[in-house]
Amino acid sequence: MEPVETKAAPVVRANGVVKRYGAKVALDGLDVEIGHGVTGLLGSNGAGKTTLISLMLGLRRRDAGTLEVLGHDPQTAGIDVRERIGYGPEHHNLPPEVQAQDLVRHLTELHGIPPRSAIQRASDALWQVGLGEERLRPVGTMSTGQRQRVKLASAIAHDPALVLLDEPTDGLDPVQRDDMLALIRRIGTEFGIDIVVSSHHLEEVERICDAVVILDSGRMIRSGTLTELRQGAEGLLVEVDEGHEALAERLRAAGLEAEVVGETVLVSGDDPHDAVRDAVADLGLGLRRLEPRRRTLEDVYLEASA
Amino acid sequence: MSESGARIYDVGYRSYDGPRRPPWRAVVTVCLHAVQRVLGLRRSFRHKILPGLAIVIAFLPAIVSIVVAVMLDETMDVGDDLITYGDYYFFISSAIALFAAFVAPEALCTDRRTGMLGLYLAGPLDRNRYLLAKAAAVLGVMLLMTLAPPLFLMIAYAVEGLGPSASELPLLALRIVVTGLSVAAMFAAVGLGAASLTSRKAIAGVVVALLVLVPGIISEVAVESGGAPDALSLLGLLNLPTELALRVFGDDPSSGTAIGRVSTALVVAGVAAWTAAGAVVTWLAYRRIEARS
Repeated sequence: MEPVETKAAPVVRANGVVKRYGAKVALDGLDVEIGHGVTGLLGSNGAGKTTLISLMLGLRRRDAGTLEVLGHDPQTAGIDVRERIGYGPEHHNLPPEVQAQDLVRHLTELHGIPPRSAIQRASDALWQVGLGEERLRPVGTMSTGQRQRVKLASAIAHDPALVLLDEPTDGLDPVQRDDMLALIRRIGTEFGIDIVVSSHHLEEVERICDAVVILDSGRMIRSGTLTELRQGAEGLLVEVDEGHEALAERLRAAGLEAEVVGETVLVSGDDPHDAVRDAVADLGLGLRRLEPRRRTLEDVYLEASA
Repeated sequence: MSESGARIYDVGYRSYDGPRRPPWRAVVTVCLHAVQRVLGLRRSFRHKILPGLAIVIAFLPAIVSIVVAVMLDETMDVGDDLITYGDYYFFISSAIALFAAFVAPEALCTDRRTGMLGLYLAGPLDRNRYLLAKAAAVLGVMLLMTLAPPLFLMIAYAVEGLGPSASELPLLALRIVVTGLSVAAMFAAVGLGAASLTSRKAIAGVVVALLVLVPGIISEVAVESGGAPDALSLLGLLNLPTELALRVFGDDPSSGTAIGRVSTALVVAGVAAWTAAGAVVTWLAYRRIEARS
């Protein structure tokens, strides 16, 4: 008898989930599985990201379908599920006069950590997110970036199995955004905590996530690991010093599809390598780069949305 | 070779392997946090002024009465001039109402304005447990006004030899606890009901003040001038605690007032109705509130 191949259970599993707000359908029969690691929940505003997060937390009741988070239905076992989840909401409002450490400690205690350990873990978490020196400052005196870090510290201090972050880079400047993304990636990889990050910024998700779920109008239109999603692009990317149009014309004459995009020519067709080599040599062009064409997340998103 | 005194100060983020407390302890955590917040503990001095002042006002009649008793008991019989337990609420009912207008909004409205409600409900709490924690906190703090001063008075009278005999003490203590709990629950419920309707503390405070004043004035005018039933005077939140206390402690009802002519059963029903109304309004309001997520 062959050994049974075991596969880690998904962190989140949704089947036919429907959520309506009056006549508006926020989630329309959503089927999705989210595995371990850092997963991006991608979609435009109104795609259903925040609704899905609130259903995962058991804060709202779905109208149809089944949903499992960490093996439990959050609608019936909401408290048990939420105890193991860290959550960073989208809004920046936090009690202004409360010190960051007190706030994180309180939320850590709320998740079942005894008071003495909660103090230590709140302090550790704030150091980890880069607010060690600022931990005694009232939250109201902090910048948006620092508040986002306080929310992240609150989300991880009780050592959750899963962290849900709703638009964690919202309101951050580019430098703060880079720092925050690096931090999220680090938490997902070094600390071994599964993370679901909702965002409508493709490049953010592409930078830090292992897998992506793309939502559109309440439906999952594409999901998978970044490697899987980027596969499937055919052809070559050719970068030459000059003569892009001439090269493209030559390749089209050879029966290939060629498109000039900036300084590059994207070529597709049956085995284009020889044809590209010959065309570049015949035209006497300086070849800078020749590599297999890769799809970006933007390509995937645009294809899926279309 | 390592230095013997070397220490690692930052060991970084670690997973937590220690004991975790059961989810119901989240109710206790939120309750204690709310009590601290309302009383201004771990907050700047200005946040301590109002609760401190209210508590001092609540204890003032007891302190004055005890001081008078101590100063005069050797020269004359002061027994009849001391404040009775039934009368006590007459002196402090305004302070209790004022405190209720502050406490419940501070406990409830702040969480909605600052997004804490969403963070709480995203943790191991649901709406009912959250409200239970907040109600327990508000009730506990209100007891500082309604229960602690009469208990203090009882102990001081007993020490001074002015109190009841040892055999009567348990019954007196029971009456104090029943009255203190009933009045605290009523004002806590009214305060929570008002606070559940808005996220602004000031508006909630004004609503409580209006609830304390307006129905009482209207009902008094309606009864005295319009010939309305005496029971209508139970709408007056300022007189109700005093009247309840008088009945519980076996004193004579207020003389010459409409509420004094109402039966004890109706007075108790009035307190219960106000308490239930506040609780129901709060529960219904929080059923429809969407936590920001």
